[in-house]
Amino acid sequence: MAILEIKHVSKFFGGLAANSDVSFEMGEGMIMGLIGPNGAGKTTLFNCITGYYPPSRGEILFKGERMNGLQPDRVCKLGMARTWQKVRPLAKMTVLDNVMVGALCRTNSLKVAREMAMEQIRVVRLDLRINFPAGGLPIGERKKLEVARVLATQPQLLLLDEVMGGLNPAESEEIIRLILDIKRRGITQMVIEHDMKAIMRISDRIVVLNSGEKLAEGTPEEIVNNRDVVTAYLGEYHA
Amino acid sequence: MRTFRTPCANNNGFSTVAAVTALLILVALFLFPRFVESPYTLHIMILFFLSTIMGGSWNILGGYTGQYSVGHAAYFGAGAYTTMILMQYKQVPPWYGIWGGIAIVVVVALFIGSICFRLRGPYFVLASIAVAEIMRLTAMNLKDLTNGAEGILATEIPPFTMGGTVITDFLTKVPFYYIGLVLAILTIIVTWLVQNSKLGYCFQAIREDQDAAHSLGINLTIYKNIALIISAVFTSLAGSFYAVYIGFIDPPTVLALDISVQIVLICIIGGIGTIYGPVVGSLVLVPLSEALRSNLIAQAIFKTGMVSEESGIGVFLKDHLAHAHALIYGILVVIVILFMPDGVLGFIKKLTAKKAVTGDRLTVTE
Ligand SMILES: Nc1ncnc2c1ncn2[C@@H]1O[C@H](COP(=O)(O)OP(=O)(O)O)[C@@H](O)[C@H]1O
Ligand SMILES: [Mg+2]
Repeated sequence: MAILEIKHVSKFFGGLAANSDVSFEMGEGMIMGLIGPNGAGKTTLFNCITGYYPPSRGEILFKGERMNGLQPDRVCKLGMARTWQKVRPLAKMTVLDNVMVGALCRTNSLKVAREMAMEQIRVVRLDLRINFPAGGLPIGERKKLEVARVLATQPQLLLLDEVMGGLNPAESEEIIRLILDIKRRGITQMVIEHDMKAIMRISDRIVVLNSGEKLAEGTPEEIVNNRDVVTAYLGEYHA
Repeated sequence: MRTFRTPCANNNGFSTVAAVTALLILVALFLFPRFVESPYTLHIMILFFLSTIMGGSWNILGGYTGQYSVGHAAYFGAGAYTTMILMQYKQVPPWYGIWGGIAIVVVVALFIGSICFRLRGPYFVLASIAVAEIMRLTAMNLKDLTNGAEGILATEIPPFTMGGTVITDFLTKVPFYYIGLVLAILTIIVTWLVQNSKLGYCFQAIREDQDAAHSLGINLTIYKNIALIISAVFTSLAGSFYAVYIGFIDPPTVLALDISVQIVLICIIGGIGTIYGPVVGSLVLVPLSEALRSNLIAQAIFKTGMVSEESGIGVFLKDHLAHAHALIYGILVVIVILFMPDGVLGFIKKLTAKKAVTGDRLTVTE
């Protein structure tokens, strides 16, 4: 059974259709790449899926359950967590406290939360920064913190919104390895990314959005060989 | 296994020193009335405790949860009026009356929360002011219940007895001193408990980034309302305490906007979202406002001998410095805020952090 089903989802902002009639499914354990030019509606789709706002039309099913109209905290409790394209560190709190907030989604005990948080902090290798205020971290570490914090909520489905944006090649490589590592742990992921090489490498399947519509879906090979995608999307870079 | 610091206990050396200091201060505070009998000094101490309770209450909602209410007079006044009305018109002693105040304030708080928590940032601030103003106007006009603009004067406080023996008859300031002290300590303990529990983490996450907190599984409505209720209940206690201690209330003294502003200032001056911020803020503001009110500054200038009391300037100072106390107070507050944006505590922390730079590079934050 699919862990996530997106059925004919549309989202309108006034007259603008940021998403229109988008449908696809995700199998358990896979990595789904979500690509498309700027303004294609990728982040909007994340927002609809995670309850930041309800979709204007269509239906979202997570583990067979209808998610429309659920608040973000409910969505997170049900096992679906997202990172933000524009990172949102809890600036005055330390790195450890940031990740503990995520862990407290699953426990009421600070002691347990602290252990759960430390585990994720080690995964993203921020051990040396635990007592550092999150607002003072450089961008690369902020992105890692964002990932550790959602991992601490113990998600089954993780939605990553451009976690490699603004990183240097070495940092990006680290994130790629992190994503593959998370996959090995059995967590399903949907990954928005602009770096084509990276997305082709990590994705099992890819969905391409363009002007809010689904332009194509398939394996990475199918996508690179798809003429519509090459003209509409890759053309932007290679024209 | 790697050790790491928790937010409350920075390191053992420091916390032992802090604990011993705190204990000594506590003992001194409990023994204070045995050695100091001056009613005026006791009065200042009681005002200091009151201010600590008020600031500490606001700190839970404003400092930790980031919901900048500028309408806390609503809870202060509701507590004051309930206790006073029950005591004066229904012969209910204040130690029962305060529970009535708490019950009413919880209802008021949930109502205010249902309106204001839909709003963010400046809109929340404005809504909180508006609701408190509505309360003030209501108290002005519900003459049958509140005696309107004339206010309520307490004729007598029933003596507090236990098993037939009179514990206190409230004829001196000493019982009020101890009640204030205990309530202030209670406020600090509650703040400590909040900071060191899941509540504190959820509150601070909401303060730092509401949307991020929401997406990490925090139910915003529930946690904001918990913060509001804790905050409102302690503000109500402060209001009840004030009413019984002063013995007179009217809308301008317990429900006016300047009380709400005063409450916020205690925290801003001391340090928002810290356990001892409201204590430090009260240590600064209570003596300052007393000194200005009682014209101590003009007296001090006369004492230096630079200006004689009888000279033209002296008369001017005597007449006007006292009247200008609100203005001078305001200017001083602005100066503190400009130069210490994180309050006095934040300023001290920054000074000590700069010294630590050479020790451990990782602890340097700015
Ligand atoms: N809250 C909003 N209100 C109005 N328009 C929005 C809002 N969020 C996104 N949009 C618009 O929707 C379109 C898709 O945006 P977005 O989902 O952020 O694209 P992407 O993440 O693919 O770059 C853009 O044209 C954007 O301006
Ligand atoms: Mg985006």
